[in-house]
Amino acid sequence: MLRWFKNKKQKKASPPYTNEQWVELLAPPADDRAVKELRKFLIRGLKPALAKYVDRELEQFVEDTAQDGLLKILDNIHSFRGESKLTTWAMKIAVREGLTELRRKKWNDISIDDLRGPNADSSDGSGEIFSDTFASNDASPEQTVAQKMIKEKVEGIIQNVLTEKQRTAITGIMIHGLPVTVVADKMGTNRNNLYKLVHDARKKIKNEFEIQGIDPEEMLNELSEK
Amino acid sequence: MTTNTLKKIFRAVINTHDNEIGCAKCCDEIEEFIELELAGKSPEEAYPLVQEHLNKCGDCREEYEALLNALKATA
Repeated sequence: MLRWFKNKKQKKASPPYTNEQWVELLAPPADDRAVKELRKFLIRGLKPALAKYVDRELEQFVEDTAQDGLLKILDNIHSFRGESKLTTWAMKIAVREGLTELRRKKWNDISIDDLRGPNADSSDGSGEIFSDTFASNDASPEQTVAQKMIKEKVEGIIQNVLTEKQRTAITGIMIHGLPVTVVADKMGTNRNNLYKLVHDARKKIKNEFEIQGIDPEEMLNELSEK
Repeated sequence: MTTNTLKKIFRAVINTHDNEIGCAKCCDEIEEFIELELAGKSPEEAYPLVQEHLNKCGDCREEYEALLNALKATA
């Protein structure tokens, strides 16, 4: 009787659906028509949103992303809190699916050793964990010397104050400019935990700057001077 | 380490606060944030910590921008 009533209600609902209708229609067993509607909606949004990140076979990538997103949406429909439109929540999930996949593909060849750097395990405090060189701007000789000193201090702090995990994360995100998602994958953690790890690392560096009397605002100005 | 990397580190340190939110919390609140924006309101006033996180986290910012584009295209 209850099932009959539910089926009857589902047949009556027609798009555009309210949040309550969406949740009811997408809860198991999901209503085919609602799933098709949502899929169409996701594809319509994903195509322009992902176009600049995909250099070929955009249509296929969008189709696959919409499909993967839909599966995730259906699996998590019970967790929708109703504080936004369901379609906004659903699009967020699909966009994240697409961008996460693209980041993983793009940075697939990077290994954890690349993030640690060639001398990450050295304990000589040389600070040679960074492979890129210090590129001076049009500074005067005095400024160049000052900039070199700043660089050595910062490298020393990163080398001596941070844990190896924090160093790896900072190197990956701030020095190599990798996405948080990718560094988290390589380090066997998730994005949220990695952000917290980096936040703790930033706080440690800030604290060490205070101990050593380094004013980051002043340093920033020093580096920006020509 | 390049000058730009050093600048990035100094800026990151200057903008480091105790009450920052992580990616999970930002992701939880981004749809409300974005709906306010689409309604022409000021989401940064209602969700200042989300705005701050978006300023700092490249992944979340990229997802926010893509979501905004997607929703504008379906409006």
